[in-house]
Amino acid sequence: GATGPLASTIRAKLAEALEPTHLEVLDESPWHGGPPGTESHFSVVVVSGRFQGLPPLQRHRLVHAALSAELAGPLHALAIVARTPQQWESDPHAPPAPPCLGGSKHDRRRG
Amino acid sequence: MSGVVRAAWRLGAGAARGRSGRPLSQAAAGGAEGGGAEGGSGGSGSREAVERLVREHPVVVFMKGSPAQPLCGFSNAVVQILRLHGVEDYRAHDVLQDPDLRQGIKNYSNWPTIPQVYLNGEFVGGCDILLQMHQNGDLVEELKKLGIRSALLDAEKDQDKK
Repeated sequence: GATGPLASTIRAKLAEALEPTHLEVLDESPWHGGPPGTESHFSVVVVSGRFQGLPPLQRHRLVHAALSAELAGPLHALAIVARTPQQWESDPHAPPAPPCLGGSKHDRRRG
Repeated sequence: MSGVVRAAWRLGAGAARGRSGRPLSQAAAGGAEGGGAEGGSGGSGSREAVERLVREHPVVVFMKGSPAQPLCGFSNAVVQILRLHGVEDYRAHDVLQDPDLRQGIKNYSNWPTIPQVYLNGEFVGGCDILLQMHQNGDLVEELKKLGIRSALLDAEKDQDKK
Protein backbone atom coordinates (compact mmCIF):
# COMPACT_ATOMS: atom_id res chain seq x y z
CA GLY A 1 0.00 0.00 0.00
CA ALA A 2 0.91 3.68 -0.13
CA THR A 3 3.43 5.05 2.35
CA GLY A 4 3.40 8.86 2.06
CA PRO A 5 2.22 11.14 4.88
CA LEU A 6 -1.31 11.57 3.55
CA ALA A 7 -1.57 7.84 2.97
CA SER A 8 -0.54 7.21 6.55
CA THR A 9 -3.08 9.69 7.83
CA ILE A 10 -5.81 8.10 5.76
CA ARG A 11 -4.90 4.67 7.02
CA ALA A 12 -4.81 5.78 10.65
CA LYS A 13 -8.11 7.64 10.51
CA LEU A 14 -9.96 4.83 8.79
CA ALA A 15 -8.53 2.31 11.22
CA GLU A 16 -9.71 4.35 14.18
CA ALA A 17 -13.13 5.24 12.83
CA LEU A 18 -14.13 1.92 11.26
CA GLU A 19 -11.98 -0.76 12.93
CA PRO A 20 -11.60 -2.60 9.63
CA THR A 21 -10.77 -6.28 9.38
CA HIS A 22 -9.11 -5.47 6.08
CA LEU A 23 -7.84 -2.11 4.82
CA GLU A 24 -6.06 -1.12 1.65
CA VAL A 25 -4.95 2.42 0.90
CA LEU A 26 -3.67 2.94 -2.62
CA ASP A 27 -2.16 6.17 -3.89
CA GLU A 28 -3.36 6.63 -7.45
CA SER A 29 -2.10 10.19 -7.76
CA PRO A 30 0.61 9.35 -10.33
CA TRP A 31 -2.16 8.31 -12.69
CA HIS A 32 -4.16 11.53 -12.34
CA GLY A 33 -1.94 14.29 -13.63
CA GLY A 34 -0.66 15.80 -10.39
CA PRO A 35 3.01 16.80 -10.03
CA PRO A 36 5.32 13.93 -9.02
CA GLY A 37 5.15 13.10 -5.34
CA THR A 38 1.76 14.77 -4.89
CA GLU A 39 -0.65 12.78 -2.82
CA SER A 40 -4.08 13.73 -4.14
CA HIS A 41 -6.03 10.77 -5.49
CA PHE A 42 -6.55 7.66 -3.43
CA SER A 43 -8.43 4.43 -3.58
CA VAL A 44 -9.42 2.62 -0.40
CA VAL A 45 -10.78 -0.82 0.31
CA VAL A 46 -12.43 -0.89 3.72
CA VAL A 47 -13.84 -4.09 5.17
CA SER A 48 -15.71 -3.48 8.39
CA GLY A 49 -18.56 -4.85 10.41
CA ARG A 50 -19.68 -1.25 10.88
CA PHE A 51 -21.08 -1.37 7.36
CA GLN A 52 -23.52 -4.11 8.21
CA GLY A 53 -27.06 -3.13 7.27
CA LEU A 54 -25.99 0.12 5.64
CA PRO A 55 -26.61 0.84 1.96
CA PRO A 56 -23.61 1.90 -0.15
CA LEU A 57 -24.35 5.62 0.17
CA GLN A 58 -24.25 5.47 3.96
CA ARG A 59 -21.10 3.36 3.94
CA HIS A 60 -19.33 5.90 1.76
CA ARG A 61 -20.54 8.71 4.01
CA LEU A 62 -18.92 6.98 6.99
CA VAL A 63 -15.64 6.87 5.10
CA HIS A 64 -15.97 10.51 4.11
CA ALA A 65 -16.72 11.50 7.70
CA ALA A 66 -13.51 9.84 8.88
CA LEU A 67 -11.56 11.78 6.27
CA SER A 68 -13.46 15.08 6.28
CA ALA A 69 -10.39 17.21 7.03
CA GLU A 70 -8.38 15.58 4.26
CA LEU A 71 -11.25 15.87 1.78
CA ALA A 72 -11.51 19.58 2.59
CA GLY A 73 -7.79 19.79 1.90
CA PRO A 74 -5.34 17.88 -0.25
CA LEU A 75 -7.46 14.80 -0.95
CA HIS A 76 -9.11 15.52 -4.30
CA ALA A 77 -10.46 12.14 -5.25
CA LEU A 78 -11.34 9.06 -3.28
CA ALA A 79 -12.51 5.79 -4.77
CA ILE A 80 -14.15 3.58 -2.16
CA VAL A 81 -14.90 -0.10 -1.83
CA ALA A 82 -16.83 -0.61 1.41
CA ARG A 83 -17.83 -4.14 2.34
CA THR A 84 -18.79 -6.16 5.36
CA PRO A 85 -16.44 -9.00 6.34
CA GLN A 86 -18.92 -11.53 4.95
CA GLN A 87 -19.10 -9.72 1.62
CA TRP A 88 -15.33 -9.49 1.38
CA GLU A 89 -14.92 -13.16 2.21
CA SER A 90 -17.18 -14.17 -0.66
CA ASP A 91 -15.52 -11.72 -3.06
CA PRO A 92 -12.10 -10.53 -1.93
CA HIS A 93 -11.49 -8.37 -4.97
CA ALA A 94 -11.95 -4.70 -5.72
CA PRO A 95 -13.11 -3.68 -9.20
CA PRO A 96 -10.36 -2.14 -11.37
CA ALA A 97 -10.28 1.65 -11.43
CA PRO A 98 -11.57 3.53 -14.48
CA PRO A 99 -8.74 4.99 -16.55
CA CYS A 100 -7.87 8.62 -15.93
CA LEU A 101 -8.69 11.16 -18.62
CA GLY A 102 -6.49 14.00 -17.41
CA GLY A 103 -8.29 14.69 -14.15
CA SER A 104 -6.56 17.45 -12.21
CA LYS A 105 -4.77 18.74 -15.30
CA HIS A 106 -8.13 20.24 -16.25
CA ASP A 107 -8.56 22.18 -13.03
CA ARG A 108 -8.00 25.90 -13.21
CA ARG A 109 -5.53 27.46 -10.80
CA ARG A 110 -6.76 26.71 -7.31
CA GLY A 111 -7.92 29.74 -5.36
CA MET B 1 -18.23 2.71 -27.37
CA SER B 2 -15.35 4.97 -26.43
CA GLY B 3 -11.97 3.32 -26.71
CA VAL B 4 -10.74 4.93 -23.54
CA VAL B 5 -12.39 2.32 -21.36
CA ARG B 6 -9.73 -0.22 -20.61
CA ALA B 7 -10.52 -3.71 -21.83
CA ALA B 8 -9.95 -5.01 -18.32
CA TRP B 9 -12.72 -2.80 -17.03
CA ARG B 10 -15.60 -4.84 -18.28
CA LEU B 11 -19.20 -3.86 -17.78
CA GLY B 12 -21.09 -6.95 -18.80
CA ALA B 13 -24.63 -7.18 -20.03
CA GLY B 14 -25.16 -9.72 -17.26
CA ALA B 15 -25.88 -6.77 -15.01
CA ALA B 16 -29.24 -6.39 -16.70
CA ARG B 17 -30.86 -9.02 -14.55
CA GLY B 18 -33.02 -6.90 -12.32
CA ARG B 19 -34.16 -7.96 -8.93
CA SER B 20 -36.91 -6.66 -6.71
CA GLY B 21 -35.97 -3.06 -6.24
CA ARG B 22 -35.25 -1.71 -2.83
CA PRO B 23 -35.74 1.94 -2.10
CA LEU B 24 -32.87 4.28 -2.78
CA SER B 25 -30.89 4.72 0.38
CA GLN B 26 -31.89 7.68 2.46
CA ALA B 27 -29.60 10.63 2.13
CA ALA B 28 -27.67 11.39 5.32
CA ALA B 29 -30.25 12.87 7.67
CA GLY B 30 -29.70 16.58 7.93
CA GLY B 31 -26.23 16.14 6.51
CA ALA B 32 -26.74 18.53 3.66
CA GLU B 33 -27.48 21.52 5.86
CA GLY B 34 -25.05 24.33 6.43
CA GLY B 35 -21.30 24.05 6.52
CA GLY B 36 -18.76 25.40 4.11
CA ALA B 37 -18.80 28.37 1.83
CA GLU B 38 -22.03 28.63 -0.07
CA GLY B 39 -22.67 30.61 -3.22
CA GLY B 40 -24.49 33.89 -2.68
CA SER B 41 -28.28 33.76 -2.63
CA GLY B 42 -29.33 33.45 -6.24
CA GLY B 43 -25.79 32.47 -7.24
CA SER B 44 -25.27 29.33 -9.27
CA GLY B 45 -24.08 27.44 -6.18
CA SER B 46 -26.94 28.38 -3.88
CA ARG B 47 -29.26 25.70 -2.53
CA GLU B 48 -32.11 27.13 -4.57
CA ALA B 49 -30.13 27.06 -7.79
CA VAL B 50 -28.88 23.53 -7.20
CA GLU B 51 -32.35 22.35 -6.21
CA ARG B 52 -33.66 23.63 -9.54
CA LEU B 53 -30.93 21.79 -11.41
CA VAL B 54 -31.41 18.43 -9.74
CA ARG B 55 -35.15 18.55 -10.38
CA GLU B 56 -34.77 19.58 -14.01
CA HIS B 57 -34.80 16.05 -15.37
CA PRO B 58 -35.12 12.47 -14.05
CA VAL B 59 -31.40 11.94 -14.60
CA VAL B 60 -28.98 14.75 -13.70
CA VAL B 61 -25.21 14.41 -13.51
CA PHE B 62 -22.63 16.84 -12.18
CA MET B 63 -19.31 16.01 -13.76
CA LYS B 64 -15.99 17.25 -15.06
CA GLY B 65 -16.26 17.90 -18.75
CA SER B 66 -19.25 16.88 -20.83
CA PRO B 67 -20.78 13.57 -21.93
CA ALA B 68 -19.22 14.14 -25.33
CA GLN B 69 -15.85 14.86 -23.75
CA PRO B 70 -15.45 13.84 -20.12
CA LEU B 71 -12.33 15.26 -18.50
CA CYS B 72 -12.00 12.81 -15.65
CA GLY B 73 -12.00 9.02 -15.57
CA PHE B 74 -14.64 8.87 -12.85
CA SER B 75 -16.94 11.25 -14.72
CA ASN B 76 -16.35 9.23 -17.87
CA ALA B 77 -17.32 6.07 -16.02
CA VAL B 78 -20.71 7.58 -15.18
CA VAL B 79 -21.26 8.59 -18.80
CA GLN B 80 -20.27 5.14 -20.07
CA ILE B 81 -22.53 3.34 -17.62
CA LEU B 82 -25.51 5.48 -18.57
CA ARG B 83 -24.70 4.91 -22.23
CA LEU B 84 -24.67 1.14 -21.71
CA HIS B 85 -28.20 1.40 -20.39
CA GLY B 86 -29.21 3.49 -23.39
CA VAL B 87 -29.59 6.64 -21.30
CA GLU B 88 -28.34 9.44 -23.54
CA ASP B 89 -30.99 12.06 -22.76
CA TYR B 90 -30.06 13.53 -19.40
CA ARG B 91 -28.82 16.78 -17.92
CA ALA B 92 -25.07 17.02 -17.43
CA HIS B 93 -23.41 19.98 -15.72
CA ASP B 94 -19.69 20.62 -16.11
CA VAL B 95 -18.48 21.87 -12.75
CA LEU B 96 -15.15 22.89 -14.26
CA GLN B 97 -17.04 25.72 -15.98
CA ASP B 98 -18.57 27.01 -12.75
CA PRO B 99 -16.64 27.11 -9.47
CA ASP B 100 -19.72 28.27 -7.55
CA LEU B 101 -21.67 25.26 -8.77
CA ARG B 102 -18.73 22.99 -8.06
CA GLN B 103 -18.79 24.00 -4.40
CA GLY B 104 -22.56 24.39 -4.22
CA ILE B 105 -23.28 20.85 -5.37
CA LYS B 106 -20.92 19.47 -2.73
CA ASN B 107 -22.68 21.50 -0.04
CA TYR B 108 -26.09 20.44 -1.27
CA SER B 109 -25.42 16.70 -1.17
CA ASN B 110 -22.86 16.86 1.63
CA TRP B 111 -20.65 14.82 -0.67
CA PRO B 112 -17.07 15.88 -1.24
CA THR B 113 -16.38 14.71 -4.76
CA ILE B 114 -17.44 14.89 -8.39
CA PRO B 115 -19.14 13.19 -10.26
CA GLN B 116 -22.54 13.19 -8.57
CA VAL B 117 -25.59 11.42 -9.93
CA TYR B 118 -29.17 12.42 -9.15
CA LEU B 119 -32.18 10.28 -10.06
CA ASN B 120 -35.55 11.96 -9.75
CA GLY B 121 -33.98 14.79 -7.80
CA GLU B 122 -32.44 12.43 -5.26
CA PHE B 123 -28.71 12.07 -4.78
CA VAL B 124 -27.68 8.52 -5.59
CA GLY B 125 -23.91 8.65 -5.26
CA GLY B 126 -20.76 8.93 -7.29
CA CYS B 127 -19.06 6.71 -9.81
CA ASP B 128 -18.34 3.83 -7.40
CA ILE B 129 -21.96 3.56 -6.33
CA LEU B 130 -23.30 3.85 -9.86
CA LEU B 131 -20.95 1.07 -10.94
CA GLN B 132 -22.19 -1.11 -8.07
CA MET B 133 -25.80 -0.40 -8.99
CA HIS B 134 -25.02 -1.30 -12.59
CA GLN B 135 -23.36 -4.57 -11.60
CA ASN B 136 -26.03 -5.73 -9.15
CA GLY B 137 -29.03 -4.83 -11.28
CA ASP B 138 -30.25 -1.96 -9.11
CA LEU B 139 -29.70 0.60 -11.84
CA VAL B 140 -32.06 -1.19 -14.21
CA GLU B 141 -34.70 -1.10 -11.47
CA GLU B 142 -34.17 2.55 -10.59
CA LEU B 143 -34.37 3.56 -14.24
CA LYS B 144 -37.58 1.57 -14.57
CA LYS B 145 -39.08 3.60 -11.70
CA LEU B 146 -38.30 6.71 -13.71
CA GLY B 147 -40.06 5.28 -16.72
CA ILE B 148 -36.77 4.57 -18.49
CA ARG B 149 -36.30 1.16 -19.97
CA SER B 150 -32.68 0.11 -19.80
CA ALA B 151 -31.17 -0.90 -23.13
CA LEU B 152 -29.56 -3.83 -21.37
CA LEU B 153 -32.95 -5.48 -20.97
CA ASP B 154 -33.27 -5.56 -24.74
CA ALA B 155 -29.70 -6.76 -25.14
CA GLU B 156 -30.44 -9.63 -22.80
CA LYS B 157 -33.62 -10.46 -24.65
CA ASP B 158 -31.62 -10.67 -27.88
CA GLN B 159 -29.20 -13.02 -26.21
CA ASP B 160 -32.03 -15.25 -25.03
CA LYS B 161 -33.17 -15.64 -28.59
CA LYS B 162 -29.96 -17.29 -29.74
